[in-house]
Amino acid sequence: MSGDRIRGAFAGLAVGDAAGWPAARHRAALHAPWSRRLHRELDTFAEEHGVTTLPVPFALNQPVAPLRVGPSDDAEWLAWTALTIDRPRAEAFRGLIDPQPGTAGEGAASALGEAGGGPVRARISVATALDNLAKDVEPPASGHDNPHFFDDAAAVRAVAFGVLGRDPTPDAEVTNAGDGLLGARAMAAAVAEAVASGSAAGAVEAALSVLPGGTAIGHNARLAVQAARAAGDPFAAVPALDAALLDHVYSYGVGAAQTVPVALALAEVSGGDLSRAVPAAACLAALADSAPALTGALTGACGGLGAIPEGWIAPARTLAGCCLPDLAGLDLIELANDVTEGIA
Amino acid sequence: MTFRDRARGCLLGLAAGDALGAPAENLTPSEIRRRWGRLTEIEGGGTDDTEYAIFAASLLIRHGHALTSQDVAAAYRREILPAIAGPMRGAGFSELGTVEALRRGLEPPLTGLVHAHGWSDGLAMRAAPYGIFCPGDPAEAARLVEQDGLVSAAGEGILGGRAVAGAVAAAIGGAAPDAVVDAALAVVPADSWTSRNIVRVRDVLDAEAAGPGVVEALHEAVVVRHYPWTDVAPEAVALAFAAFLAGGGDVEASVTFGVSLGRDADTIGAIAGAVAGAGRGEHGVPRRWAGRIGPVTGKCLPVVAGRHVRDVADELAERL
Repeated sequence: MSGDRIRGAFAGLAVGDAAGWPAARHRAALHAPWSRRLHRELDTFAEEHGVTTLPVPFALNQPVAPLRVGPSDDAEWLAWTALTIDRPRAEAFRGLIDPQPGTAGEGAASALGEAGGGPVRARISVATALDNLAKDVEPPASGHDNPHFFDDAAAVRAVAFGVLGRDPTPDAEVTNAGDGLLGARAMAAAVAEAVASGSAAGAVEAALSVLPGGTAIGHNARLAVQAARAAGDPFAAVPALDAALLDHVYSYGVGAAQTVPVALALAEVSGGDLSRAVPAAACLAALADSAPALTGALTGACGGLGAIPEGWIAPARTLAGCCLPDLAGLDLIELANDVTEGIA
Repeated sequence: MTFRDRARGCLLGLAAGDALGAPAENLTPSEIRRRWGRLTEIEGGGTDDTEYAIFAASLLIRHGHALTSQDVAAAYRREILPAIAGPMRGAGFSELGTVEALRRGLEPPLTGLVHAHGWSDGLAMRAAPYGIFCPGDPAEAARLVEQDGLVSAAGEGILGGRAVAGAVAAAIGGAAPDAVVDAALAVVPADSWTSRNIVRVRDVLDAEAAGPGVVEALHEAVVVRHYPWTDVAPEAVALAFAAFLAGGGDVEASVTFGVSLGRDADTIGAIAGAVAGAGRGEHGVPRRWAGRIGPVTGKCLPVVAGRHVRDVADELAERL
C-alpha cells in the first residue's frame, strides 16, 4: 500500500543520509565550534607528520549522542519541505532568513539568518538563494543566478513532492536551475512512480522520461543506468559509476548530474532493494553526502518501510537539528504518517 | 587609429591587466589597500588569461569565421591534451573538467556541460581575440566566441564570453565606453545573470560615482558571498565592466580600479585591460606596463610558449 511506501521513502532517505560518511561531519556541527577547530588542527598535524591515522569527529567534554549513526542535512531538509509544502515556496524560504519578531537575532544581518532555534546551515545553492531573496531577487532568478544552481538540494526536497504526486518545480526554482531543477523533477517522478507501483524499473523509466538527453544530467543518468546494468549488481557497479560520472576535478560532490544518476542506477540494478543499493552509494566517497540519501529514498519507496532493516530505523528516524535547529527531535516516520493521512 | 594599433592595445591591455592583478587574486579590497594602497605596478608575469587568449587567437588565425566547436575540440585534443604530463598548471576547473571530458571521448557541447564549472570566467578571460576579429560587429564576435565556449563552458560561462567579445568588437570599432557596455548587453539575453549583474554595477556607478564606498557597493551588488571560488563569470565580467566604466575607458585607470576589487583580480584586470586597450590602442597602454610584457612562457599552455601578444595582435589584424 502507498502509505507504507511513503513512510519507506522518508525513512529510506534518512537511512541513506545516515549511512554516508559526511553525516558525522554534519552532526558534529551540534558541538562547540572549538571541537571542529581542533579537528582541523589534527588534520594539519597529520599532514605535517605524515601520520595516516585520520581524525574523525569527536566529542570532548560534550555529549556523544550527536556522533552516533544518524541522519543529518538531507533528512532535515526533507522534513522542512513536508512541513511547509502548502506554503508559497519563496515565502517558506524567506522564513529561514528573517528572525521571528521579538527573538534575539532580530535585525541581525547574518548570512543565513536565524530561524528561531539558531542559525540555519544549508548547501551553497540554498545559502545563495536566501541571499538573493533577501535582495528581492525572486524565483526563478534566485535559483538561477546562483553558482550552485546545479546541486541536488532541490532533488532532496523533491522527495516530499514525489510522494504526494506533486510537481516540485515551484520549490526547486527557488534554489536551483538547469540540472538542479531537472534533478528535482526526476526524483519527484521516480518517487511518485515507486510509491504508486513499487517498481524500481518503472521509477527509473519515469525519471529518464523527464531528463532530456542533451543535458549533463540526462546524459549521465543513461550512462549510469547502462554501467550498473553491465555490472549486474550494486556493489559491483561502484567502480564503473565512479569512472563514468566523476571527473574528480570539482571540489563539491553534491551535483545533481552525478548524485541523481547514481541513485537511479543503483535503485534499478538492486531491483529496489535498499539493503543492497544504499551501501553501494555510500562507497562512492565523493558523492556520499547525498547519493546514499537519494538512493535510500527511491529504494525505500519501492520496498516500503517494512523492507528497511529494523536496526536502521530507530537510529535514522529522529532528526538531530544540525542544519535546521528547530527540527531537532522530530520523528521523521511520524511526519510521514501525517503526510500519508493528509492524502488518505 | 588603425585596427592593428587597437588590436595591440587590446592584447597588451589584457596581458598587463592579467599580470597586474595576479598578486591580488582572492584578496579582499581592504587587504589590497593595506598591502599596496593602489596596486599600479606589475610585479611578475601573467597567468592563464594571456596564454589562453593567445591560443584562442591561433584558432581564429587558422579557421577565421568558419571556426566551429569541433575545430576547437580537435585543437584541444591535438595541442593541449598531449602536452599534459602530470599536473595541468594554471588551469581552472572548467579547463580541467573539459580535458577529462575530452579524454572520455565526449564531444561539444557535452564537454562543456558535464563538468560543474560551466559558468567559469575561463571563456571571458580569453574572449578578446574574437572581438578583435570582428570590428564593429559584436553579434559576430559573440557567435564566434560561443564556438570556443561550447567546448569548455555552458550557460552563463558562454554568456560571459559573448559579453566580453561583443564589448571588444564595439571598442575596436571605435565605440565610446557606454556604447561598448551597451554592445555587451545586446549580445546576451536580458533574462540572464550576466545581464542583470552588468545592469547592477552600472546602477551602482550611477549612484556612487567614484565615491569612497564604490568598491564595497560593487561587491554588495554582485559578489556571491557564500561561495569560496571567485571565478564566477557573471561576477567577474560585471566587475570588469564596472572597472572599465569607472576608468572612463582609460587603460591604466580601468585596470588599476579592476584589480583593486580583488576576487578574480587577474581576470577582472585582463578583461578591463582588453576592452579599454581596444578603445585606446597601443599608446593607451602605459609604456612601463607594455615594457613588462614579454613572450609568454607556456607555463599554462606549452603550445603557446614563446608567443608575444603584440605579434598575435598583428596576425589577427592582418586577417581583417
